[in-house]
Amino acid sequence: MAYSDLEVPDRADHLWRYTPWHRIHPGGEISDVPEAGGAVIDLHSLDGSTEPGGVSLEVATAEDLERLSVNGEEDISTQFIKALADGNAIVLRVERKAKPTQPVLLNIECQGDIAALHLLLDIGEMAELQLITRITGDAGWAGILRQGIFGNACNVNDIVINHMGEGRLLRTDGIHLGRDAQVKCGAVGSGASRCKADLRYTMDQVGATLKVNGSILSLDGMHNDHHVEILHLAPQTYSRLDWHSACAGKSRTIGTGMLRIEAGAKGADAGQLFHNLLLSKDAEADSIPELEVSENDVVGCGHGTANGPVDDDQMFYLKTRGFSEGEARDMLVAAFLNATLTDMGSEVVHEHLLNILTRDLAADL
Amino acid sequence: MSDNVILRINNLHVSIEDTAILNGIDLEIKAGEVHALMGRNGSGKSTLANVLMGHPTYEITDGTIEFLGEDLTEMEPWERARAGVFLSFQYPQAVPGLQVGNFLRKSVQAIRGENAPGARDFRTELNTAMSELNVDKQFLGRYVNDGFSGGEKKRFEILQLLLNQPRLAVLDETDSGLDIDALQTVAKGINASTTSESGCLIITHYQRILDHVKPSHVHIMIDGKIVKTGGADLALEVEAKGYEWLSAEND
Repeated sequence: MAYSDLEVPDRADHLWRYTPWHRIHPGGEISDVPEAGGAVIDLHSLDGSTEPGGVSLEVATAEDLERLSVNGEEDISTQFIKALADGNAIVLRVERKAKPTQPVLLNIECQGDIAALHLLLDIGEMAELQLITRITGDAGWAGILRQGIFGNACNVNDIVINHMGEGRLLRTDGIHLGRDAQVKCGAVGSGASRCKADLRYTMDQVGATLKVNGSILSLDGMHNDHHVEILHLAPQTYSRLDWHSACAGKSRTIGTGMLRIEAGAKGADAGQLFHNLLLSKDAEADSIPELEVSENDVVGCGHGTANGPVDDDQMFYLKTRGFSEGEARDMLVAAFLNATLTDMGSEVVHEHLLNILTRDLAADL
Repeated sequence: MSDNVILRINNLHVSIEDTAILNGIDLEIKAGEVHALMGRNGSGKSTLANVLMGHPTYEITDGTIEFLGEDLTEMEPWERARAGVFLSFQYPQAVPGLQVGNFLRKSVQAIRGENAPGARDFRTELNTAMSELNVDKQFLGRYVNDGFSGGEKKRFEILQLLLNQPRLAVLDETDSGLDIDALQTVAKGINASTTSESGCLIITHYQRILDHVKPSHVHIMIDGKIVKTGGADLALEVEAKGYEWLSAEND
């Protein structure tokens, strides 16, 4: 369905309650599709030393668009970014059984008033890959749509870092997991003045495992709205969502989760947790985890949420170990965000992410 | 004041939300001395430990605390730590996400300041201390007290004691919940940390740790007051007779 055929979503909708479409639309007539520039993308190994073996970027063919454009047929964000990209897309293709020795870094630099990218992910069967996607740039508005298939028995750590400047970011993911796929998806965010992310994962093949981790640093007047939807369609599928947001200044963070276990997904095991660390009295955080379970034979299905300020007892403990008020607070914020960061990838990836987090905290807190 | 007095407490009264907890504590610890403070639950032992470290919940209503001749009550908790006061917690806080290795390195830098070892020397010190306490190297990659067993928490506190090299160590029921092997290991660490330049205050319910760490003084606390002071024999006497006779004497 084309963007022009879709109605503006109602704020009563779970997904659009906190950031209605007109607040994340780039502006102007809401029915128009403005002209958008592309994003500059480059791909290399994390250490920059080698071309990542078995991984390539290509212009998408019609067959790619047909096969990999999963989810989002009636989703306004998906169709809007597709319209901005004017039917063009780039494929990140990972060959069957590819196993790059180094984590792979995909830089997406968004420039100009409006930037848009439709990225298709084609991860081959049994591929083993750690992919770090870093979104940067000073675009006034950016839309990044990622859709694709993580093939059977692949083992993928897929991390997206939002390092945009002051602009707004609309991020939409639609990912299908293959049979026995082992996937970790991480979202790291400390950029963009306003971010609306709609991340959807579908497990329609038996035996898939998915872990989604969020580590979001929200500052000043930022507005960060992340929606994570995990759909269990096949038996023996496993998912965990662990989302940590640290909220400072007058920022607002929203985390909404939708966990669906459809009839037939026997033996499914799913859980979601949202934690918000409130660092100022003006910061605001909302977390709404939701469950829809239509299968009786499940291993487990749970959800939870916790909001609170920095823990006084933890503060005292760190102070007794020689850290001043500010140092102890910064360490606790870093620890809070690191708790989910650490599960996003290997030791090398974690170190890379931790360095970014440390720099961001040093600059911003 | 003689030069070798580490801690001097005079007539210390402490309250929490208008309830008096400590009712006139007098205590002096000199360099090289190990003092044991014993008493029932609720007698005020842990309150004293927390007050020495500057816990904000407690209000000092009267009395003084001097550490190396300085007014300890004027210092923030981290200033006390940097000045050389160490508290081993009865229930150490877990900090998920904070890696033990990084935490120890930064803490030693903060506390020992200019005297902190360089990277290589720190590793040597760390390896020696961990070996002394039978702590596995994988421990360094874990998060501070997160998922630690009771024994691991106590060993971690003593590991910090060894690395931070304080002038005054306050050990709040470090022996509680330890099996025999862990108790001996922890006691070995306490002994290794005690020097002729430092003092130690061991807060305990039980005499058994004093089989491994010899106290120069034993104090009995009842209802927020030290009611009796003696040598190591006093701990044995309390172990044998309980606290009733001291309560009666105090009444």
